[in-house]
Amino acid sequence: MAARVVTVDRDTKPGIYPVLIGMAITFKNMFKTMFGGAAATIQFPEEKRKTSGRYRGIHILTQRLDGTPKCVACYMCATACPAECIYIEAGERPEATIEKYPTRFEIDLLRCVYCGFCVDACPEEAIFMSRENDLVGTSRAEMIIDRDRLMERAKLVEYGPGYRPTDHDVRRPVRIAALERLKHEHGIVPGPPSR
Amino acid sequence: MPKCTIDGREVDVPPGTTVIQAGLMVGIEIPHFCWHPDLPVDGNCRMCLVEIEKMPKLQIACNTMVTDGMVVRTTSEKAVQAHRTTLEFLLVNHPIDCPVCDQAGECYLQDQYMEHGLHDSKVQPEEKVRKRKVVDLGPIMLDAERCVLCSRCIRFEAEVTRTNSFEFVNRGDQTQISTFENRPIMHNYAGNLADVCPVGALLSHDFRFKMRVWFLEATDSVCPGCSTGCNIFIDHRDGEAQRLRPRRNVEVNKSWMCDIGRKEYKEIALDTRVTAARVRSPSGWEGTSNPTALDTLAERLQEAGAASAFVATPQATNEDLFAFRTLAERAGGMLDFRVGDPQDRVRVREDGVLLRADRNPNTQGCLDLGLGRSGVSEIVKACAAGKVKALLLQGPELLRRPEALEAIAKVPLVAVMAAHEEPSLDRAHLVLPAAMWAEVDGTFTNYQRRVQRIRRAFPAPDSAAPRWALAAGALKRLGAPFAATSAREVFALLARAVPDYAGLDFRSLGTGGRALPERPDQAATQEARA
Repeated sequence: MAARVVTVDRDTKPGIYPVLIGMAITFKNMFKTMFGGAAATIQFPEEKRKTSGRYRGIHILTQRLDGTPKCVACYMCATACPAECIYIEAGERPEATIEKYPTRFEIDLLRCVYCGFCVDACPEEAIFMSRENDLVGTSRAEMIIDRDRLMERAKLVEYGPGYRPTDHDVRRPVRIAALERLKHEHGIVPGPPSR
Repeated sequence: MPKCTIDGREVDVPPGTTVIQAGLMVGIEIPHFCWHPDLPVDGNCRMCLVEIEKMPKLQIACNTMVTDGMVVRTTSEKAVQAHRTTLEFLLVNHPIDCPVCDQAGECYLQDQYMEHGLHDSKVQPEEKVRKRKVVDLGPIMLDAERCVLCSRCIRFEAEVTRTNSFEFVNRGDQTQISTFENRPIMHNYAGNLADVCPVGALLSHDFRFKMRVWFLEATDSVCPGCSTGCNIFIDHRDGEAQRLRPRRNVEVNKSWMCDIGRKEYKEIALDTRVTAARVRSPSGWEGTSNPTALDTLAERLQEAGAASAFVATPQATNEDLFAFRTLAERAGGMLDFRVGDPQDRVRVREDGVLLRADRNPNTQGCLDLGLGRSGVSEIVKACAAGKVKALLLQGPELLRRPEALEAIAKVPLVAVMAAHEEPSLDRAHLVLPAAMWAEVDGTFTNYQRRVQRIRRAFPAPDSAAPRWALAAGALKRLGAPFAATSAREVFALLARAVPDYAGLDFRSLGTGGRALPERPDQAATQEARA
């Protein structure tokens, strides 16, 4: 689109009048924030910012009733992770029905981009995100948090749970794409036959 | 030659070809579970149903021979519907444990579901028939719930190893595969069971929970375990080999490899690798760089002249051997490779399947390049007589022979190219770090005289270098620069120098290698020995 010239006709009155209008706005806002409770500043850390229930903070690994990780070390989160910040080593669980669990599960919180893909990818609802966002440490090594520390986080109720798999569509994009193709190429709509 | 049309593509096939094979010839993969190119046809999974014109019902592609003028449709609505319904039956009692199943990512069931199934199961997880899980069969883990009863393992045991370990037990929806009393698999080809299993019912114990397969990168190579030279894939990630897998080559190993070969990758990442050159000084070993070590070596070889001796190793590639031979010829010393007489065992079978008694990948290459010249015992005698001033070993084999130790001790300079630390290296004065087979490009010649390519999967640790490059470094210092800077160029030189290899280059070797014509004299003597 070609640029065009717009002539703005400002209605400017001379004298003190515009200054007074400006000051009135300034004072109005000053009294609002001083006495009306509209201040944007919060008294961190005594006071925490309110975040939404879908806030993506530091991860939580959920537990089974016996305190073992719910994670089955399927590496889906590590596969989905765009920052490659998840390191997993799998081990053998004695129960034949579960079989596998992570002997090591580490997240490099400095590398993590808090996208929440790991939560989406998890087939076991084993990884959630909390609303915790004040990440403090004195070394890089300290910022790599391991399995046990990730599992302990569930106990920290200070911030509350953040992004987690709830009722969003579990049909993966890849499957949806494949369904579309099947429908398009063969006119087949999969699923149980309608009676 | 029957001619048929598959999905609108014409294909000429030899008589006796099945529809599924004909499809593969034109790049059409008909979904299947029980059919395997190197196993007899069973036709039990019913997955490969295709529509054939003038036939009233759908036919299984794996057991229908192509006849002239046949018109096959693999993606017609009827065929696709059949694939879907068959798959739905196969999945009725399948546990949904892909997250913990090592097969995920290379599972036929997963692939076919994404391609043809996509139905929602009508059976609730609680209603599924439970079978045995996590049954330890030695090198193999059995999970009967995941099994689709394709009988590939049974046919493998019956036809390839002839051990018949597996059988179906029970009936109806309780059918499962089992070994007698859950006895472990004892033979040397157990790893293939995990490979032939199209699903996660039989999995390798060694690879269990180690890695998700989609992280792995596959590089074509050849197994260095014996003179058979099975074609393999090196599956690796971040410069570390995770497993070896057979690569199909009908002329050599079909789709199989032995468990001894499968373990070869474990040698690569050991922390006992020689990663830097070192020289012996009066106070002990002294670390040095490759160029400095080669300077010393070249100087001593120059001084020694004809009073030098060279012992090649059948573990090395043809390129390594050729460069080594060139170096030996330049120095004018004695040359041989036959430590322990591997050439007598090249064609000797160790079992009826693949393994051969010669556990070197390239003894035939040594023979072809004419490295068996002076005789190892002659070299040892010369050493003992003090006639050898410099001895260069391409591998540490000679240092391990107790009968040669006394003689070697009399040589003023013993240089050795080694990949692994071992006590015998202390008998040398100069150690050069050698790269291993997975870290170099090159060729091996197997017992059939088939020249096969190996490819570099990942870099060698620290300053470890291909053996040919070490030899080339020494040649350069001797004033005879080697006119090659890559394995490809070394092979080109080799092809010009060795008549049998004339006309070969890396490109013409392709993925399956090239067989050299039999040398009549050699074949006769070798067969007689075998």
